[in-house]
Amino acid sequence: MILAFDWTQLAQQTVIGLSSGGLWALLALALVLIYRSTGVINFAQGEMAMFSTFIAWSLIHHGLSYWEAFFLTLAISFVGGVALERVVIRPVERAPVLTVVIVTLGLFFLVDGAARWFWSSETRSLPNAFSTRPITVAGVAFSIQDLGNIAVSLGVVALLFALFQFTKLGLALRAAAVNPEESRLLGIRVSWMLALGWGLAAAMGAVSGMLTAPALASFDQNLMQPVLLYAFAGAVLGGISSPFGAVVGTLLLGVFVNLIGTYVDWIGTDLRLPAAFAVILGVLLVRPAGLFGRASVRRV
Amino acid sequence: MSRVVVAILGALALATVASGAGTATPGVTANEVVIGGTIPLTGVASAYRTVGLGAAAYFRYVNAHGGVNHRKIRYIIKDDQYDPAQTMDKTRELVEQDHVFAIFNSLGTEHNLATRPYLNAIKVPQLFVASGATTWGKDSKQWPWTIGYQPNYRAEGTIYGRYIAKTAPKSRIGVLSQNDDYGKDLLAGLRNGLGKRAKLIVSTQNYNVDDPDVQSQIAKLKSAKANTLALFATPKFAIQAYRYAFQLGWKPKVYINTVSSASNTMAFAVLASSKKQTEGTISIVFLKDPTDPRWAKDRGMKLYRTIMKKFKGTNPNDVYNVYGMSVAHTFVAALKKAGKNPTRDSIMRAARHLTIRNDPFLLPGVVVRTTPSDGFPLDQARLERFHNGRWRSFGGLFRVR
Amino acid sequence: MRRALGIGAWVLAVAAGLGLFLLLPHLVSDFHSRDLARAGVFFIAIVGLNLLTGYTGQISLGHGALMAIGGYTTAALVVHEHWRDVWTIPLAGLAAGIVGFIIGIPALRLSGLYLALVTFGFAVSMPSLLKKFSGLTGGTQGLRFLESAPLQVTGLTGKVTIFGHTMTQNHFLYYLTWSIGIVGFALAWLIVRGRLGRVFRSVRDSEIAAVSSGVNLAATKTFAFALSGVYAGVAGALLAIQDEIVNPLSFTFLLSILVLVGAVVGGLGSLPGLVLGAFFVQYLPSISTHVSSRAGVPDFVYGAAIILVMILLPTGAGGLLRRVARPLTTWLYTRP
Repeated sequence: MILAFDWTQLAQQTVIGLSSGGLWALLALALVLIYRSTGVINFAQGEMAMFSTFIAWSLIHHGLSYWEAFFLTLAISFVGGVALERVVIRPVERAPVLTVVIVTLGLFFLVDGAARWFWSSETRSLPNAFSTRPITVAGVAFSIQDLGNIAVSLGVVALLFALFQFTKLGLALRAAAVNPEESRLLGIRVSWMLALGWGLAAAMGAVSGMLTAPALASFDQNLMQPVLLYAFAGAVLGGISSPFGAVVGTLLLGVFVNLIGTYVDWIGTDLRLPAAFAVILGVLLVRPAGLFGRASVRRV
Repeated sequence: MSRVVVAILGALALATVASGAGTATPGVTANEVVIGGTIPLTGVASAYRTVGLGAAAYFRYVNAHGGVNHRKIRYIIKDDQYDPAQTMDKTRELVEQDHVFAIFNSLGTEHNLATRPYLNAIKVPQLFVASGATTWGKDSKQWPWTIGYQPNYRAEGTIYGRYIAKTAPKSRIGVLSQNDDYGKDLLAGLRNGLGKRAKLIVSTQNYNVDDPDVQSQIAKLKSAKANTLALFATPKFAIQAYRYAFQLGWKPKVYINTVSSASNTMAFAVLASSKKQTEGTISIVFLKDPTDPRWAKDRGMKLYRTIMKKFKGTNPNDVYNVYGMSVAHTFVAALKKAGKNPTRDSIMRAARHLTIRNDPFLLPGVVVRTTPSDGFPLDQARLERFHNGRWRSFGGLFRVR
Repeated sequence: MRRALGIGAWVLAVAAGLGLFLLLPHLVSDFHSRDLARAGVFFIAIVGLNLLTGYTGQISLGHGALMAIGGYTTAALVVHEHWRDVWTIPLAGLAAGIVGFIIGIPALRLSGLYLALVTFGFAVSMPSLLKKFSGLTGGTQGLRFLESAPLQVTGLTGKVTIFGHTMTQNHFLYYLTWSIGIVGFALAWLIVRGRLGRVFRSVRDSEIAAVSSGVNLAATKTFAFALSGVYAGVAGALLAIQDEIVNPLSFTFLLSILVLVGAVVGGLGSLPGLVLGAFFVQYLPSISTHVSSRAGVPDFVYGAAIILVMILLPTGAGGLLRRVARPLTTWLYTRP
């Protein structure tokens, strides 16, 4: 029985799940960063990442190399994120949370529309950051690109961890998010902390877009919409306040979705998404703050 | 439909006609013919908007040269955001508020299925539906006011099935198909064409348009030990399929559907995988591909590029523009045939008696032909093979039925 | 004296509202009544969502999916069981209410973001589920009344006769939708003003305080979900009746977003502004396309409009109305 089971297929589908999940992890990190620094889920994060990808494409089209375009886009996205926060979020900083959520939904349409306005909807491609040459180990195929994407995610987690734990700036960011009123009293410019959070998240989203586009072999304005879904789900599964949780959550989600689609015929590819959400619901019922999230204790 | 229902719907038709603009034929005046259709101008399917915009550019060209029988053609495009409920709404608006002469070039299978009973009940022509479903031609008797245009997907799949059954009867076929009518029709056609050899299909995998990638599906097809891959997928996913097959070290013989076979899409596929991976891919073609170098000096494509430039076309490399111009060209021919004072009856009759040989945007030799018993305007194509980064046709024109 | 004035003003406002409701279809083109009826559909869904999110503080990103339940219940009954379209409305509401209740159960354990995610998951999964169970739902092609059950469509001939009064189908749809809307609104008003409304608000403001004053948290929260679901189901049914089709493509996550936007723009936690929220959601897309139909511009304008409205009116139209009406109500109801 054990011999008849196709272990190679299991391993291959697991690796594919990690590869897909690794892509979603990058966007999930951006979502976590904005959540931790502003308390809001930014529904426009994917579209902002897509817009950055188009900027990178235009830069490359005008002659820059991939890495030159990459870092320039990072800088532009950072500035763009700060600008968006100042113009669009700042006016509603003190409004109810749902108002801010609706603003990010409006931003979703705005950024999506801008991307379709400035660039036509034809298929484009971005050069690969990492090699896509296939590597086969024990009958299971993958590429450096798959490893590279996961490595970048973990690297960003490490950077974020270092930022939040070891720098004054990180401390200020965390304080501003958790207790704006007291932070102001301590002299922290809370408003600018929020802007900084948005800038960093926009930059991370840009990384996500610029790695996702080559990984999916082509891109257009619809690039990030499916990714946002899975990134959101994975981030919540891992615990929305934990960057490490976001990465683990999306990797697990990728593997789960693939395996259940492969081995449960009734679910197949049609019902992968509902199955994924059903499982996340199950996890949340047992651990309401996600796998690695910290549950807020309610004291009376 | 039962006679009672027909009578009731006929009463509906009378009510609508009576509330019309007062002229004998709605949408037709001394110097104008007004037609309209629904296209997804915004939303996730907005890449298809050029099907409408290409037609609009062609009509502007025709109007600049005097129009048809001294009448200019006003083509109203309404955005249904690819939502059939909105298609119903906007189509009603076109008929009841804009009083169009006919509904023309509306896009989408489910979308036109939704409006078909309504339009047929009130006897408004549903001309040249932009969808590859078989029903537009097959069910002409039941829905006499509806006619399609492009070669239908099922017929296309049948071609691939017959070709495989004849030339490679021991293949193991894996299918990647989109989870909607388009994908399902192609697959049904493939099975139909394979006939007794339908068992050659060893695995079918489908995907939804909002899935991020099809890596898992390609891996499953490979592990089913298929050596032939039928790609019934839209460009984004077709390119991915080549890439993932390459990464898995899998080199099947590929059959790719015509929606994804444009030269610029194939160029991306080569970039994403390798020349070897795409070598030998087979597809069918009926339109002239604007990115294909073999039409660089072609008169029809020169006209196409001129119209795109002078009459506010969008991206000339977008093959949907070519489609739009072709269907607009056919409409103009039908309108001419409908007589000096066209009525809805006369244009419908013209649409069912077409013989157009000179469409500059279709492959040489393709004839747009309909008869009362043949409700498929376009049913010819050629097979083509992708060799050394370019498409080369082989064999002759044949019927795609 | 002031009390009498206050009551008088109130009665006048209600009478004006009812008058407008009755006369509006005759002031606009016949076809336009259809658009107004569609706005009514959003209105009903928005009132329901507001009861849940505005009054008990439970966020739902899945109301479009609940509308789908209602719409498909109607469609299935019409096409498969040959029910008359309008008689399916109560069952559609009930079906969606039950699903709402079922969602409400796990919602007890979740709050804020996590509840948002789960309802989001439900909304996103709905098209896949609808496509899968194709025997009942018609799969990717959906269900079409005119094709499969034309005799069950009210107004098939273009004219509808009720109580001896004949009107066009478009007018009928308008009156049907907005009558139900007014009844639903009145019901919500009564709930909000009464004890149940206070219980809802106490749950929203502080669950711990609510529990310690004897509120049955589980019952209240799940009831709110069920009630909100009934509204969404009725809205979905009316949508199906109006369009005479249902299709998975009509019930994507976008619909849930629209209902939420309408509720927030209308004003969460208050009722008067919700009509404006419904009109905002109904008319903004076409206004955006009128500005320019060039690729991307309508979406851009649409997004900008939403952002602008939220910046100018963070508490929605309801908040604005309350601020405007406060001096008046203070004057009317304060002892000199």
